[in-house]
Amino acid sequence: MLKKIASIRGGLTFLLILAIIYAIYGIYYKIEYWGFSFSPKQNTNLWSIEAHISFTPTNTPIKINLTTPRSNDAFKILEENIIAPDYKIKRNKTKSLLTLTAPAKNPEDKQNLYYKIMLFDNIDTRGKIKAPQPQAPQQPIFDNQKLAAAKQILDLAEKMDGDSVSQIILLLNQEPLAPAVQSYLPVKNTQQQTVEIISDLLALKQIPSRPARGFKLEESKKSLSPDLMLEAYIDGVWKLYDIRTGKKGLPDNFILFQRGGKSLIDVIGGEDSVIKFSVLKSVKSTMSLAGQRAKLMDSQGWFNYSIYNLPLSQQNTLKWLSIFPLGILLIVLMRNVVGIQTMGTFTPMLLSMALVKTGFWAGMGCFSIMILLGLIIRSLMNRFNLLLVPRISAVVIFVILIMQELTVLGYSLDLHIAQSAVFFPIIITAWIIERASITWEEEGPLNAGKEIFNSLLVAIIVYFVISSEYIRHIMFAFNELNIIILFIVMLLGTYTGYRLLELKRFSPIVKR
Amino acid sequence: MLKWLSKFCSPQQLYDAGVLGMNARNFHIISKHNQRRLYPLVDDKVQTKTLANNIGISTPKLIGKIEHQYEVKNILDIINQYTEFVIKPAQGSGGKGVLVISDYHDGIFTTASGRKISYAEVYQHISNILSGLYSLGGKYDTAIIEELVHFSDVFKEYSYQGVPDVRLIIYKGYPIMAMTRLPTKASGGRANLHQGAVGVGLNIQTGKALHGVLRNQPVTIQPDTGADLMQIQVPYWQEHLLIGALAYDMTGLGYLGADIVLDANKGPMMLELNARPGLAIQIANGFGLKTKIKEVDKYYPENLTANERVKFVLNYRHAK
Repeated sequence: MLKKIASIRGGLTFLLILAIIYAIYGIYYKIEYWGFSFSPKQNTNLWSIEAHISFTPTNTPIKINLTTPRSNDAFKILEENIIAPDYKIKRNKTKSLLTLTAPAKNPEDKQNLYYKIMLFDNIDTRGKIKAPQPQAPQQPIFDNQKLAAAKQILDLAEKMDGDSVSQIILLLNQEPLAPAVQSYLPVKNTQQQTVEIISDLLALKQIPSRPARGFKLEESKKSLSPDLMLEAYIDGVWKLYDIRTGKKGLPDNFILFQRGGKSLIDVIGGEDSVIKFSVLKSVKSTMSLAGQRAKLMDSQGWFNYSIYNLPLSQQNTLKWLSIFPLGILLIVLMRNVVGIQTMGTFTPMLLSMALVKTGFWAGMGCFSIMILLGLIIRSLMNRFNLLLVPRISAVVIFVILIMQELTVLGYSLDLHIAQSAVFFPIIITAWIIERASITWEEEGPLNAGKEIFNSLLVAIIVYFVISSEYIRHIMFAFNELNIIILFIVMLLGTYTGYRLLELKRFSPIVKR
Repeated sequence: MLKWLSKFCSPQQLYDAGVLGMNARNFHIISKHNQRRLYPLVDDKVQTKTLANNIGISTPKLIGKIEHQYEVKNILDIINQYTEFVIKPAQGSGGKGVLVISDYHDGIFTTASGRKISYAEVYQHISNILSGLYSLGGKYDTAIIEELVHFSDVFKEYSYQGVPDVRLIIYKGYPIMAMTRLPTKASGGRANLHQGAVGVGLNIQTGKALHGVLRNQPVTIQPDTGADLMQIQVPYWQEHLLIGALAYDMTGLGYLGADIVLDANKGPMMLELNARPGLAIQIANGFGLKTKIKEVDKYYPENLTANERVKFVLNYRHAK
């Protein structure tokens, strides 16, 4: 006998372990590739950037080189669109350079080309990615006088706040400028020049650096020109600096478009070329992005058959369903391990579901009123000597009437308590009333009260677990957990130890 | 809080006392020894009665049964010349839906507790039975009307109204544990422990009182009559045990509860059988069922007749 149990338990434990392994893999996969998270209200910023390139062709072959952002760990591209009719599109190996070639017959009128990209930020990974060590920076060619001036500046910079990069940037932007700096800088310098000067100074300190282009995002603005930033390689990672404030890291609402290299766009065979950027930011919940993320990952097949690919309304229904197994597990624990007897096996769970929808106090108040009124009406009905099925049906109708009245009353008195009546399962409520009234008659009000109390107690315990937004989100987003629950429930089916309350019930045997 | 906690004991203590828990009962005992297809034999009291009479167990005489709603109005014809009888659901459990009429005269029914009820109330009670209010799983049920048992005077001073009975636990055909259940005022004349009846564990070999228990607490006197429970000695004990042993033969259920009532004139009669008897009997006996079950598995011979098994139990000397 024992051997048999051991083998059943062994089998179930084995399946449970498999389920746990599967769930861990599933959770890892969903977090890593679909971008799910344990927190229910995670939002992801979504950027849509449009580059509008316009130029007038000169009668030479047209060739446009556009540097485009690529997916990396810091941000991922959801969609990329090129609107360039009749142009041949070519990409280089790393796909970071887009080459558009005009058709054989050169167009003559003004050309308008669009490049659209939609991407989202992987905020979590920013700044944490190790980059390979770049080559030692090329030393600037300075004459002795300039070298001395540069060294003086570097010495001065050491007195500033922040790391060595910030120090230099701060010094160069000081107000008013130190005399040594003033003489070092050209009278009027562009952003491009500033970056070059900083890079040269950093090179003297053997710190590799490169320019980076991106956009300060302000939604109302339509046309933007890219901002220049500086990236320096420190401690194995590329760090981004604002060249005016020396602030480290990616500023809020800033999207990086291109790193290092030359300009963003080259137009050959055209003149008066203008590139205009417009940026739109939108916030989407992480869950709703999952589909698009999955498509990027070539794991479409799997995602298409998952519940997250369903319309949102159906997802909400399933979200509600996916909390049930946890509730069921709690009921099993309450009955088979703790040993609380309740009215009907799953009645407490259904009650707690209703409580989640109504809110705790409102629900409890409303439920008590309904049961109390129901019991009074039921006891009055006793005199009619009705048969069981018509009688319970009458109770059901009474429950509906009570719900209606409570809701109307609640609305007119502006009481939320009364309005939550409609969420309680009608039939369940009616049966609770019927059973309580029978128990009352047969075994006295004490036992009837005890039965209701036990059921409510279990309902409240289940309520406090499933009312958590976090737990509901986790059970839905990582629904593999339900398989674990399935095997835990089955394993509990082989639990033959004492129930907690039996330790009290049978204690007279050992304490005589 | 501490006081409340002190009411608990450790699982090890229970284990050492050989106490059988609900989970272990369901998993190891019932699912192993009681085949599900045999349940209807004990769940349906009409079937049980027929089987019992065939094998030679006496039961209260069946006066009549009502299977359909339109037959309910025949109740007065069925009871005809009887002035006392019991109406119960054929598939009830735990004494639910049992209506004891101790007197019926001039259209007035008097219940065991002395309450006078009308024909309409009796009518509704039978309707409730038929619609399955008291049956397992709420199935449509049959109401049976049987003779009222006149229980032996032996129990008179121990019982407040109602019918005291003897509950036997029979394992593999051997009666292994016994108790008598005595109705009290609090239990409303019912012999159910959880409703407040007194349970008194009985020595399985002698039928003498071991311990008394009332609502899970030790008790030595009947709360209503003040009688000393420890003086209880159930007469015709061997006949009681034989009913239990035969009940195994007639049902084939390896783990079984038999409720036996001692009629003043007709001797021990079987009231009903139960395929999932409760565990409170352990408290009344002061020791666990598991000890007994292990003993049977280990030392008790198989393939004995009912009579031989009873003799074996009566003469069994503890292995120690």
